[in-house]
Amino acid sequence: MNAETDKSELAERVKLIESMIGEGRRSTTKWGWSFVLWGVAYYVAAAWATWGQSWLAWPVTMVAAAVISSVVGSRIQRGKPETTLGRSVGAVWIAMGCALMVVLISLGFSGHGDAHVFIAIVGAMLAVAHATSGMILKWKAQVACAVVWLASAVAACFGSAKVAVLAFLIATFLGQIVFGIYAMVLESRRRKRDGAVNA
Amino acid sequence: MPELPELNPVIHGKLRLALLSLLSGVDEAEFTWLRAKTGATDGNLGAQLLKLEEAGYVSVEKRFVLRKPQTLYRMTEAGRAALTEYVAALRELLGGAASSF
Repeated sequence: MNAETDKSELAERVKLIESMIGEGRRSTTKWGWSFVLWGVAYYVAAAWATWGQSWLAWPVTMVAAAVISSVVGSRIQRGKPETTLGRSVGAVWIAMGCALMVVLISLGFSGHGDAHVFIAIVGAMLAVAHATSGMILKWKAQVACAVVWLASAVAACFGSAKVAVLAFLIATFLGQIVFGIYAMVLESRRRKRDGAVNA
Repeated sequence: MPELPELNPVIHGKLRLALLSLLSGVDEAEFTWLRAKTGATDGNLGAQLLKLEEAGYVSVEKRFVLRKPQTLYRMTEAGRAALTEYVAALRELLGGAASSF
């Protein structure tokens, strides 16, 4: 083996290391569907509460969405490696979801909440989660979602109940459903692009 | 003339190097994921992972999830140090041509 062959073999090793580190770090998570699911769940709960006049609408829909999210999420993630990045983003959403659930249920039972309070809290919490996740992932689209949710929270503070509800519905559409579909499209493109890299 | 560094023979194997590089980017990984990423056969993959385990570069955890066996591999501190040294040696041999990881 001559020096040139040696060098090309070493350069090949460098390429292998780079591509494998990239493979390991590459996000393999699929979470776009969960944004769509939660967006649809908000619409279902809002419609049920408005036309069904039931106090059960929000708690039942939210608990159902949480159960579906965790079951489907754990099935999708099975067999995939956990990365520090994935765990960080996941922690933000789980912490936000738990806090939101406890506060909203408490407000519901105490009777101290109205549309303004509910929407301001939901908007602010979702804005924080989207912004944190967007900053961790350096994903401008998600930071834009944070701005949309924050705007709905501010609108709920200053506007009438009608304005607050409208702002919530718009933010749900843009910040959850449209964003979720966009994320799913990106995930699908990424899956098509990435095949097994044989060592 | 300065003496050239020697490359760690445990890491230098192509599949073992790929496995250590993959594990360096994740907290832990299942055998099936490593197999999918490397395209190696079960036998070869198992044998190479065993060599890395014997060298103390990876740790193994076997458990059952929903009654299905799961084998998880993690890179150890020794493995991370060995890979770092290997990359530094590669760089030196290539005359600093290798990019930073």
